[in-house]
Amino acid sequence: MKRYIIGLSVCVFGLNAAGFNPSMQTYISDLKVQAKKDNSGFIDFDVKRGEKIFLSKHIGKRGDEISCATCHTQNLTATGKNPTTNKSIKPLSPSANSTRLTDVAEVKKWLKRNFNDVYKREGTALEKGDVLYFIKSK
Amino acid sequence: MNKKIITNTILLSVLSFAEGYEINRVAPAKNAIYQKECASCHFGYQPGLLPKQTWGKIMNTLDNHFGTDASLDDKTKADITRYLVNNSSDSQNSNFRINNKNNSIKNLRITKMPYFLREHNEIPKKIIAQKEVGSLLNCTACNKSAEKGIYSEGYIKVPNFRSWDDD
Repeated sequence: MKRYIIGLSVCVFGLNAAGFNPSMQTYISDLKVQAKKDNSGFIDFDVKRGEKIFLSKHIGKRGDEISCATCHTQNLTATGKNPTTNKSIKPLSPSANSTRLTDVAEVKKWLKRNFNDVYKREGTALEKGDVLYFIKSK
Repeated sequence: MNKKIITNTILLSVLSFAEGYEINRVAPAKNAIYQKECASCHFGYQPGLLPKQTWGKIMNTLDNHFGTDASLDDKTKADITRYLVNNSSDSQNSNFRINNKNNSIKNLRITKMPYFLREHNEIPKKIIAQKEVGSLLNCTACNKSAEKGIYSEGYIKVPNFRSWDDD
């Protein structure tokens, strides 16, 4: 019975989160709990919603129109560039850069910073999960 | 009147020297945490390029770091601040003195420091704007030994720029 429950949990929660390491899976699970708390109708994070979060443009912290793709480009396997300092940014896609989405502290740090830079506020649990699924899918 | 101008000129020269204008070498920034956390977005400016008060203010305003959120957890922030302050231009180890006392909290930008402006004011805007450079913050685009803390003229190569007389 216990094994069945574990198997079922993996099916329900693990399907789209496949490939995340254990610490990241724990983080994703925490985000799911919060997303469910915020909206009882929540089922799972969604790559399509994440894509929209990533590509949509907003008036950011600097007062200019900006999206995540402004720095990371629309091709997540490509090298990005910080437009202010001209410093290159290693690819965001885990398929092109195996260190991405492996360190929870790094992921939390950048989600906080970059949501503030683009959206002028921190992301909700739903938004964070969606965008992580999107990045993971690339 | 002439005397006054001459006196002022001499005074300015002395001040310029005191601000470290003549020195073009600072200790390299070897701290691994600093390199990881700060140099992921921009060149890892050596701590000796700013006085400790300026570094302190920068590190206390990371949530709005020149228009960007560069916030860090408390421990990392404390570690980096200690490194920057201990190796700042007014630290014992530094041979690069910056006379910026009155301005150390108001001007936080290395690119607005008198020594920096003096060295970069003749560069045409289009040379800075070109994609190979993009920004004055991109030290290594021209200062090929900037990572080592060496800013001597012998190590400078400005892309697509033959002469200081070009426009």
